[in-house]
Amino acid sequence: MKEYRLDCLGEACPIPLMKTEKKMMDLQVGDMLIVMIDHSCAMKNVPEWARTQGHNVDIEEVDDGEWEIFIEKVK
Amino acid sequence: MSEKTATKRKPKSSQIPFALILLVGLIFFGNYLFTKSPNLVIALILGLAFGYILQRSRFCFTAGFRDPWLTGSTSITRAVILAIALATIGFFFIKYKAFLAGAEVIPGNAHFVNPIGISLLVGGVMFGIGMVIAGGCASGTLMRVGEGFQMQIISLIFFVLGSLWGVHDLPFWNSLSKDAPRIFLPDYFGWYGALAVQFALLGAAYFVAIWWQKKKMGSIE
Repeated sequence: MKEYRLDCLGEACPIPLMKTEKKMMDLQVGDMLIVMIDHSCAMKNVPEWARTQGHNVDIEEVDDGEWEIFIEKVK
Repeated sequence: MSEKTATKRKPKSSQIPFALILLVGLIFFGNYLFTKSPNLVIALILGLAFGYILQRSRFCFTAGFRDPWLTGSTSITRAVILAIALATIGFFFIKYKAFLAGAEVIPGNAHFVNPIGISLLVGGVMFGIGMVIAGGCASGTLMRVGEGFQMQIISLIFFVLGSLWGVHDLPFWNSLSKDAPRIFLPDYFGWYGALAVQFALLGAAYFVAIWWQKKKMGSIE
C-alpha cells in the first residue's frame, strides 16, 4: 500500500475536490491519499464526497486554518 | 483506519488574548455606534451573529448551486432551500402586518417589486459563473476573507469594484427591463395563497434535490 500527498494549499473551492476526485482514480485499493487544504469549504465537501464514495476518511487540523484529509481507498 | 503520517502539529499560540482585545474593541465600537443610532448596534450584533453562524456551519450559497453539478451532493442545496423557507415565514409576517396596518408601499409590494427581465436572467448566470471561479458568493467571500484566505481578498477587491461599476450604470440596466412584468404573488393568490404557493415550490425543489443526490451519488448522506 502506498501513500500519496496532494498539495491543495491556497486553492479555493472546488479545486481541491476536483483534484481529489482525479487523484483517487490513480490509487489502488488500500492506498492512502493525504489532501492538504487551507480553504475551510474544502474541509466540508472533500470528506463528504469521499464518504459517499465509501472510502475511510479522517481529518486532522495541522495548523490554524490548515487541514489534512486522509482518504483510504477501500473499493 | 491504517497507519498514517500527519504533518507534525505545530504548537499553537493561544488566541484568547486576541479574542479579548477584539471583544473590548467591539464593545467600544458598539458604544460609539449607540451614540449615533441604537439601530446600528442591532445591525452590528446581527452581523456578528450572521458571520459566526456562516463560518461555523460552512454554509455556502455557491456550494449550494455548484455541488449538485460537480459531485451530485445536494446537502447544502437543501440547507439553502430550508433557509429560504424560514426567511419566507419571517418576511411574510412582517409584510402582512404592514399590509393590515394599511401601508401603501410595503417593500416588496406591487409598486415596489422589481421587474423580472432578460437582463436579470443574464446577470444571474454571470454571477453564478463568477462566484464559482472566485470561490464564493458575497457572504462566502466576506467570511473567508475574515478567515484569512488570501486569494479571496483579491475576489473581494474586484467584487467591490464590479459592484461600484454596476451601481454607476444602474439606470441603464434598469431601463432594459422597465416593461418586464412585475410579479407580486399576493396580488395573484392572496396572502395565504402566496405563502402556500411559495412553500409548494420550495417543497418540490427539496424533493428534486433529494432525488438528484440519490441518482448521482446513490445515497442522501
